[in-house]
Amino acid sequence: MTSIRVKKRVPPEFALEADFNLGTGITALIGPAGAGKTLLLEMIAGLATPDDGRILLNDAILFDGQARVNLAPVRRGCGYVSQADSLFPHRTLRQNLEFAARRFPRLERHRRVAEAIEHFNLADVAAVRPADASHAERLRCSIARALIGGPELLLADDAGFHSVLPGLIRAHFRGPILMAARDMDLACAAASELILLHAGRIVQRGAPRQVLDQPATAEAARLAGYENLWQGTIASLDRAANLSRLEFGGFALTVPYLPGHLRGDRVWAAIRAAAVRPRTADTPPAPNVIPAELVRVVERVQSVRMEFAGPIVAELSRSQFAALGDNKSWLVELPGESLRVI
Amino acid sequence: MTADWSPLWLSLRVALLVSALALVAAPWPAWLLARRNWPVVTLLTGFLSSVPAVIVASLAAPAFTWPVAVAAGLVRAVPYTLAASRTAFQSLNPSYVKAARMAGAADWRIFWTLALPLHGRAALAAAADVFPETMLEMAVALWIVGRLSAPPAGAILLTALAGGALALWVRRGAGAILERQAGR
Repeated sequence: MTSIRVKKRVPPEFALEADFNLGTGITALIGPAGAGKTLLLEMIAGLATPDDGRILLNDAILFDGQARVNLAPVRRGCGYVSQADSLFPHRTLRQNLEFAARRFPRLERHRRVAEAIEHFNLADVAAVRPADASHAERLRCSIARALIGGPELLLADDAGFHSVLPGLIRAHFRGPILMAARDMDLACAAASELILLHAGRIVQRGAPRQVLDQPATAEAARLAGYENLWQGTIASLDRAANLSRLEFGGFALTVPYLPGHLRGDRVWAAIRAAAVRPRTADTPPAPNVIPAELVRVVERVQSVRMEFAGPIVAELSRSQFAALGDNKSWLVELPGESLRVI
Repeated sequence: MTADWSPLWLSLRVALLVSALALVAAPWPAWLLARRNWPVVTLLTGFLSSVPAVIVASLAAPAFTWPVAVAAGLVRAVPYTLAASRTAFQSLNPSYVKAARMAGAADWRIFWTLALPLHGRAALAAAADVFPETMLEMAVALWIVGRLSAPPAGAILLTALAGGALALWVRRGAGAILERQAGR
């Protein structure tokens, strides 16, 4: 079993508290800057010391605050790819790998370095310094260096992985991977589990689709990419008609009946920008279609973002936007099936 | 009249020894102190770096021999080189240190394989600064203890060197002020 339960205070006011088990697949740690992702990874790697807690890797104790066990980083069996470019700039890529393998006998060291160079396609650049290698080559070398000692767990701190890398790593490393990621698409594609971290606390964890579709808190919804998030009140609940009416600052929405809630409860409603449908003012009245004042239109590479007062944000394809034409007054439809009530 | 070159050789010997010993002695403590923010170290090294210890020794020591001059020179040279090296080591990329620690490198190895190759030039530059400054101090100290009688060639040379050292000293002071202003 691999489990992490740690507490750490960082003066003046940041506190990290995390308790979770790691599966054998890739776990993505998602959170804004300052959420504690790096600190958490460093505590597991042994580069930072928790105030309290227990870290087990395959049932071996790496840290135990009560028993005063705190293994040195090299004895933990963790590989660590840091956020910044951490290859030693005055050494060649081969020498960087050799440095990481220096604790092995000479022949074993040579074997491991040769394998790492082969597995991560570094043969052409093994003799150059990091400054003369491309970003992708440096990243591959960083991963090869982290794996050269044969770790049982790979920790990757927002290392700028692209979609190909997890596959490349998986080809040569079968253990669990905990990676802090900014790219939600990459996390969803590569990870079997997401952990959402906000202000030092885990706000939600689970399978990527579950976390993305059913955010448990407003923070989780923000982290999961819900750009429209409003706090409101339950105005009415009708179990028979399977309807709940929610009132927000300037508009009201109808959603399916909310079991376990009372009238007057404060709730959050969240909807992705891509699910919001702008309509022209001549659209016939329908549930959850509300008038909205267009504030601005932002052109993006493949889409158009419409920002309404409220604030309500809609994201459309260029063809959808072109089809709407030039309008003075607008309605927006917030489809009930896409609304998440938290 | 034969020129007396002995003050020049003496000064050169003292300045070289002081620079070399400071270069050997300062970097390792500087590395150990680099990861600690102790204002008292900054204050102490700043104060000692500005004390003309060789001149003070020439006034205070009962016998101003060359070992005394070297010892006095080190009182200023080591803190100065230490402070310069410490500042340089503090700018070492923490990611390199973490990567080295993950590979099992101890403090000494990180110092030897990372800190010195990447930032050791600061210690070299500081030791190079120490050399003309010690020459300047020796010129003044020898003049105080009466070893320089006018107008031997050694005195002329020492004066020229002292002028250069003074210019270097001023440059360093101005550099520090400019750096501080840029930091603001």
